[in-house]
Amino acid sequence: MNAIEVNHLSFTYPGASRPTLEQVSLEIEKGDFVAIVGNNGCGKSTLCKALNGLIPHFITGEYSGDVWIDGCNTKDTEIGVLAQKVGYVYQDFENQIIRPTVLDDASYACLNYAMKDYKERGMRALEQCGLKNREHDYIWQLSGGQTHLLALAGAVSLQPDILVLDEPIAQLDPEHADRIYQVLKELNEVYGKTILVIEHHTEYIADYCRHVVLMRDGGVAWKLPSKEALQRVEELQKSNVFPPQVTTAAQRLKERGEYDPLQPLPITIQEGMEVFTPRFIRRNQEAAMAHADRAKTENVISLRDVSLSYRSVKGDPRQVFHNLNLRICRGEKIALIGSNGAGKSTLMKMMIGLLHPSSGSIALNGRSIQKKKPEELSGEISMVYQNPEDMFIKDSIEKDISYAMDVRGVADRIERTEELLRRFRLWELRERDGRMLSGGQMRRASLAIGIALNPGILLLDEPTANLDIATRKEIMKTLNEMKAITETVIIATHDMQLVCEWADRIVVLCEGRVVADGSREQIFSNREILERVGIRPPEIFSMGQELDPESHCYTIEEFVCRFEGRRAYENHAEVI
Amino acid sequence: MKIMQKLSESILDKLSIDFLRNQGLKNAYGNDDTVIASLDSRILILWYLFFGVVPWFVNDIPFLLGCFLLVAITTKLARVAGLVLGLFLLGVFTQTGYLLIVTLLFGGDETAIAPLLVLTLKVATVSLASITVFSGLDPDHLANGLMWYGCPEKLSFSISYAYRMLPLLMEEFQSVLLSYRLRGNPPAHDTFLGKIRYLIYQIRVIIHSFYPLMLNTAKRSRTTVEVLEIKGYRYAAVNKEVKKVKLSTMKVTNNDGMFLALSFLWVAVTILISTLV
Repeated sequence: MNAIEVNHLSFTYPGASRPTLEQVSLEIEKGDFVAIVGNNGCGKSTLCKALNGLIPHFITGEYSGDVWIDGCNTKDTEIGVLAQKVGYVYQDFENQIIRPTVLDDASYACLNYAMKDYKERGMRALEQCGLKNREHDYIWQLSGGQTHLLALAGAVSLQPDILVLDEPIAQLDPEHADRIYQVLKELNEVYGKTILVIEHHTEYIADYCRHVVLMRDGGVAWKLPSKEALQRVEELQKSNVFPPQVTTAAQRLKERGEYDPLQPLPITIQEGMEVFTPRFIRRNQEAAMAHADRAKTENVISLRDVSLSYRSVKGDPRQVFHNLNLRICRGEKIALIGSNGAGKSTLMKMMIGLLHPSSGSIALNGRSIQKKKPEELSGEISMVYQNPEDMFIKDSIEKDISYAMDVRGVADRIERTEELLRRFRLWELRERDGRMLSGGQMRRASLAIGIALNPGILLLDEPTANLDIATRKEIMKTLNEMKAITETVIIATHDMQLVCEWADRIVVLCEGRVVADGSREQIFSNREILERVGIRPPEIFSMGQELDPESHCYTIEEFVCRFEGRRAYENHAEVI
Repeated sequence: MKIMQKLSESILDKLSIDFLRNQGLKNAYGNDDTVIASLDSRILILWYLFFGVVPWFVNDIPFLLGCFLLVAITTKLARVAGLVLGLFLLGVFTQTGYLLIVTLLFGGDETAIAPLLVLTLKVATVSLASITVFSGLDPDHLANGLMWYGCPEKLSFSISYAYRMLPLLMEEFQSVLLSYRLRGNPPAHDTFLGKIRYLIYQIRVIIHSFYPLMLNTAKRSRTTVEVLEIKGYRYAAVNKEVKKVKLSTMKVTNNDGMFLALSFLWVAVTILISTLV
């Protein structure tokens, strides 16, 4: 039986020149686990909002066609009734939390629909979402991952048969992301819920989803079983969806005729084990490549025995750092990694003089910053925060970029602003308000603002978070270009592909201390650290390691040089 | 000089937005385990009606003093956040307290001091009673209590939602101010004139912060509005049943009786004393 049936659905937002959804037809079976993929703006979120009746009841527009949920046409069913059939978790899930305590929020919808046992329902939902024993906590005590689980619990509390999640793991570190998918898997398998996720992380699709729906230009291009869907590498890439790295690697080998064309492409590491095999040539090449000389230059930042604690709402202050020591040399490109809440942002705030350590000292370019205010340091060090919206204080990005130069009376500020706008491909958008730009444009604008004063040191907090993969690639490119402009750059991130492709030194923070510090070889081959801190190397690296523990492949290109398709190799051996 | 510098630094530190946010949260939710917070909100509102209104109409010093002591004790019991108490002291002082002190210093006699003392006591008693109720109770209890007395659901929702949004707004405000701080170029403030210019600069920045603050918050609340719709907020507002379910959690216990009885006894004793004097 079908849980969802969409027939020839078209929808146009008021004022839009063309429909966002055009003749969408889709059937989803009860109990399925489906991923919806597609380009930015292809109508994924709009489709999902049509499933729970927000469209057409709450968001009006030109609407035609039918959506049947469990036998009810959404056109004729009230949102309140639909909410008990379809649960929805937004991408910006923290704005979905309405009540101050966990149980209150989880049971809020049940209370509103006058269910007498609303508390029990809330508790049950919390249990299903793995938040048992947290019911009396306040929402600001939860981590990002737990907040997401709470948003999910709020949707689950009404016990809908269908759950829709918009990019559930975009902001989370891998550990929390796994947790979310484990919970979803359980909801699907144990409680029989039909689950739809809008997802860019194809590794997770390969591991958890049964079907994939590709959307293109407001319509459904196809719906296929995941295994089949992820093999359509070229088609996916055309829609800016990037298949798992193992799949892409196999596709590259196939193009080079080094992969059995009859064999399906692998989509998980387990499958990869069956099909890849190491090449014998070029064995020690990468080792030589990896040890690029890192000439020691002078320190630009040094933290000595730094401790810091935070005021908390209740109880004792929380200690974030305890005797932290770190030195950063001129010209280094450093990635700062660690799980959510390890203190990465706090460390950056200390470096720019916004927070002063309770003990220990911090020196910037050889001078102590203990007595300095952040505005005095802004010519030397600059920070771009995680949320680019917070960087916009004027009503156009041009004014935003020039602001710091204007108030300082920098002589060539007009030329420099123009140069920055052009360099970051923002010239056409210069009159727009930063908040109204797309995700990638917003990031580029925030980077331009960050380097306006030409600081020697730039700190970036999660520059690739919340971006779809195509935009992420674009930002990675921009970051690589910026290497030439700014001497010393530190990036705090969960994005291990960025770490591998960009950084030349990795600093790992855990429980307020630096637990590892070194090159990517040193960090990623240290299994103990990886496990303790919960770092997951890029899939292609793990694939390489599984096949040959000696290998260090950080990119698909490196992998393809090091391994080949098994079948092809055997043929090769026969020829010899 | 060094002490002075340290003092001014610590005051600036104390007045950071982070501190305000922390104190605001502390005030709303940080004291949910106190005696006052465990009382039934309806009883407390009733109690407040007495101590918030009656002192205005009585001019008897022993009675006012008695009431003042009682509300001072309840304020202590409610473990009110430091900031609120600080604001209270400042408020009372600027209202009437300074007059009282000035009168005392310049040899005002009893006839001058008594009315001022009465006024100061009135203001102080009423404010402390308000602080006890509005900051000792967590916003949800307060909202439920108000609803029981027939206040519209929208009001009680606004109270608890405002408290939910407050930290978000503060956070947003903090980051916008941070942008100004990191990119701005404040005037030097070593001299006295510089300090004034610095103050004006800061006020201007706060005013300018308003535009991005509002836009950012509006952008965030779009989701919240949709979620309220999905979660049935609109249904609840018109459904009598929901109100009943909500209010069914409130219970008057022995503690509430004790609290009322003790307050009553205390007031009776002060009245007795005032008739004896």
